[in-house]
Amino acid sequence: MSGRTDRLVRLSDDSRILSEQDCQAIAKRVFAFASGGGETSVNLMSWWNGELRWARNRTTLASDRRDIRLEIWRDVGKGRGNVSTNQLDDASLEAAVRAAERSAVLAPIIRRPTPTQPPLPNPERPKTAIWSDATYGVTPEARGEAARALIGPAEAKGMQSAGYLEMRAGSHARLSSTRMGTTPAPWDIPYTAWTQAQCSMTVRDKEGTGSGWAGLSSYDWSHIDAPALAARALDKCVASQHPVTLEPGRYTVILEPQAVCELIAIVATSMYREIPEQGQGPWVLSYDDVLGLWRSKLGLKVLDERITITHDPADPLLGIFPEPWMEPVTWFDKGVLTNLSFLRDYALEKLNVNAPRRALTGYRMTGGQTSVEEMIGTTTRGLLVSHFSDIRALDGNSLLSTGLTRDGLWLIEHGKISKAVKNLRFTESPLFALNSIEQMGVPVPVFRPVKNPYEQEAPLTPAIVPPIKSRDFSFTSTIDAI
Amino acid sequence: MSLNRRTFLKTGVAAAAMAAVPRPLYAQLGRAAEPLPPIEDPRLASLAARALDSARGAGAVYADVRLTHTRTRRFFPLFTYDDEDMEVGVRALLDGYWGFASGPVWSPDEMARLGREAVHQAKTNALGKPRIVTLAPAPVVKNASWTMPVLIDPFAISPFEVQDHLTSLEIFTKRAPNVGLVRNDALSTMQEKAFASTAGSYCTQRTYLTMGDLVVGVYLPRTKQQSELTLDCVSAAGLGWELYAADSIPRVRDHSLRDEILLRLEEAKEDAMLPAKALDVGRFDAVFDENSMANLLDGTIGHATELDRALGLEANAGGTSYLNDPFAMIGSYVAGAPLLSVSANRSEAGGAATTKWDDEGVAPDDFTIVKNGMLVDFQTTRESAGWLEDAYAKSGKPAHSHGCANAPSAVEAPMQHVPNLTLAPGREASDFNALVSGMPDGIAIKRASLDMDFQHGSGLGLAAVFEVKKGKRIARYPSAGFLFRSTEIWKSLLTISADKTSRRFGVSAQKGEPPQTCYHSVTAAPAAVKQLTLIDPLRKA
Repeated sequence: MSGRTDRLVRLSDDSRILSEQDCQAIAKRVFAFASGGGETSVNLMSWWNGELRWARNRTTLASDRRDIRLEIWRDVGKGRGNVSTNQLDDASLEAAVRAAERSAVLAPIIRRPTPTQPPLPNPERPKTAIWSDATYGVTPEARGEAARALIGPAEAKGMQSAGYLEMRAGSHARLSSTRMGTTPAPWDIPYTAWTQAQCSMTVRDKEGTGSGWAGLSSYDWSHIDAPALAARALDKCVASQHPVTLEPGRYTVILEPQAVCELIAIVATSMYREIPEQGQGPWVLSYDDVLGLWRSKLGLKVLDERITITHDPADPLLGIFPEPWMEPVTWFDKGVLTNLSFLRDYALEKLNVNAPRRALTGYRMTGGQTSVEEMIGTTTRGLLVSHFSDIRALDGNSLLSTGLTRDGLWLIEHGKISKAVKNLRFTESPLFALNSIEQMGVPVPVFRPVKNPYEQEAPLTPAIVPPIKSRDFSFTSTIDAI
Repeated sequence: MSLNRRTFLKTGVAAAAMAAVPRPLYAQLGRAAEPLPPIEDPRLASLAARALDSARGAGAVYADVRLTHTRTRRFFPLFTYDDEDMEVGVRALLDGYWGFASGPVWSPDEMARLGREAVHQAKTNALGKPRIVTLAPAPVVKNASWTMPVLIDPFAISPFEVQDHLTSLEIFTKRAPNVGLVRNDALSTMQEKAFASTAGSYCTQRTYLTMGDLVVGVYLPRTKQQSELTLDCVSAAGLGWELYAADSIPRVRDHSLRDEILLRLEEAKEDAMLPAKALDVGRFDAVFDENSMANLLDGTIGHATELDRALGLEANAGGTSYLNDPFAMIGSYVAGAPLLSVSANRSEAGGAATTKWDDEGVAPDDFTIVKNGMLVDFQTTRESAGWLEDAYAKSGKPAHSHGCANAPSAVEAPMQHVPNLTLAPGREASDFNALVSGMPDGIAIKRASLDMDFQHGSGLGLAAVFEVKKGKRIARYPSAGFLFRSTEIWKSLLTISADKTSRRFGVSAQKGEPPQTCYHSVTAAPAAVKQLTLIDPLRKA
């Protein structure tokens, strides 16, 4: 930058995240500061956020934020020290390396033995669709204009709109002093840059009797039709006004894709192989007295046969964070449990295969051809759910969960939406819902933004999910919140 | 070099102290980068002024800048992680629109860039329809400094000492068969912060936050199950390492941490000895322990009286509030029984939200939220206090901020976060057990955790629930929960215990987009309510 007088490392307007050359250079400088031998590794992340929040039909804050996180590991003797900082000038880097060396002495016995893991047959990370110039290039002016266009229709109808627009870019590199310029180990992360755009809004009427929500996240801002989201949130708000109280009980539900994604999020976290092996979780079958171990439900039909859940790094719409030697995985094949997730250590030790970590992060779920309108038309009595809020697991074995409907719940009678109803608390297992399916629609991308930009393995966890009509969904109490 | 821990300990204090020596980060205050000075260094004021000048020059009618230097140390029995960050954030107001820009570099150039960028961000929105921001007046703070008083600065002692402390807890707990620590780590944060505004305020402060994750596991061989006890006496507090090391801490624990573990184990054993019973769903009078009351206060009134939430500013994030018409409700809305009074502060020693000046340079006052059952105030910042001008005028009060602006660090824009909350104690000198013994028929509830709806108006509580007959706990319900409405539960208060049974707990709360997490304390005493709805949370419709 012209006119700069300091020599501190910064994220400038031209390069708001660290480039590959930046990361290499910083890593080399860190490695050069290390004294006394032993491996040094760095985990270097940077992010930029262009944000705009609005509420009550006016922008409440527009911001440009950038930050860095540098983690340094130093192996000294038998110890491994770790420190982190966001300062990248030489003096700070050297001080950080010294601090890591000092703290290595604090952790003398937890040093893992030198990894004797074989190299992966293919250490390459697939090229996945996670960077978009369209997202990176959105200016504050464009965000301001977009927000005004999204607020306009709601304000014109006398409603109050609140929402959030965010363009985000991140970079990640995990490099080791012992492998500079050579084949990376499976746990190294070659420089990876990613973007994410998100847009969501809630439209409420002034009396607080109706609320509508719509949102979408994608690595690519051009994949998000923001005006359509604004129209949807407004329509839902208008349609959800003045709800009536409905008795809790079992209802046929039509779950919109967002609701399906929120409901089944807990399934992804239950997929580790270790869980059924310890006789716990939803995927344990029974104890095998002969072999003296727990058997899992792998190979058995556990969900409705119309459901297939997969991820494919080549999927251009999905855009998941690349991991080494990432292959397409089918988790559920026509309702049959075909894969459970595991770490690389587990693959080598327990499965005796040279495979990388396998985790269910982003996914695509198959659906059917029935539109939500057709689902409504074929329902005698049921509820239409837009999305859920505050879901929590009650029982890890059945995945029984409780949560609330939010931003619009409608009663369907004789093939038509008859009235808006007050929100309900449900107590139900997603597995039950996925086994009681009547109809499924066309899968679409849903709102699943980055939770933690410093997530080590998979900051991006997109999902493509269909709407579902399911029988006998259990609602246990009414709530007043709208 | 092969130093093991024992020989290292033997090498002496000097080496150990070296591990605790703060490492230098660099800032550019003048012409060249130099090691970061203490936050009180007067040259930081000119650095901050650079950002304000730049924002003013770009057209801001008001701007403020925060510089934070945050050290975090995460302690485990066998290792310690250090993190040290510097952040700077500039906020600018122009034609009623806020802009914010932040980054990690402290230098005159960067201050100027951030000042310009914050105004640029505000300008892009000022093109739209007019918006009015009236900042409630706040006294100008001139060159003031403050350091939160702690007994043991976690960054001044050797990390060895802390690791040894954690290890000793592990060894101590393992003495009993089938008992051990499931989780045992601690975290301390020291944040230095400089604040400057175009109104002429400049202040610096140094605050501490320490918290632990201490969970005792008791393995039950007969059922092959493990039950877990969380030691809530090490929840987040504005304290140093005394949170662990002190023999007692007022309102937190009366005993040493080891004795506290023994007491909790004894209590768990007593509870487990009670026969398990199938649940009678219905409505019962109930006694809550202090932990449950703190969660109840936090989950209902604590969050519902955040003014920005009540007015819909969080509608697309954490939700709104059942107290949805603040202007009309202040001074006339009955929030609970006459014995309910709730106050807030950011001044209490040891409080997790305690600070001298908030993120807008306002010295927070101690204020009452609910007085004798009547809702009298909301949590405010300078901007949101302005919205209440008319409501305050009715009672002859000038609008002023309660100093609730906060953010985890300067890289995040300040917003209203919950201050420390206190449930006013009652007069009855009875603790939880005495309240139970005074109850002929009902239930007793310990360690309730709540699932609140997005207006904090109704909730589901999951807890350890016991049947009470003739003043005695006679059975436990292995699967029980309770449903309640915020409006009703506070009106059904029967009694609150006296001050000496009050306990303080540190809790975290998340709000905003992207979400920010800040900490605050909640102090509450055990209490009894009538007619609570008891349910089996695992039962489907």
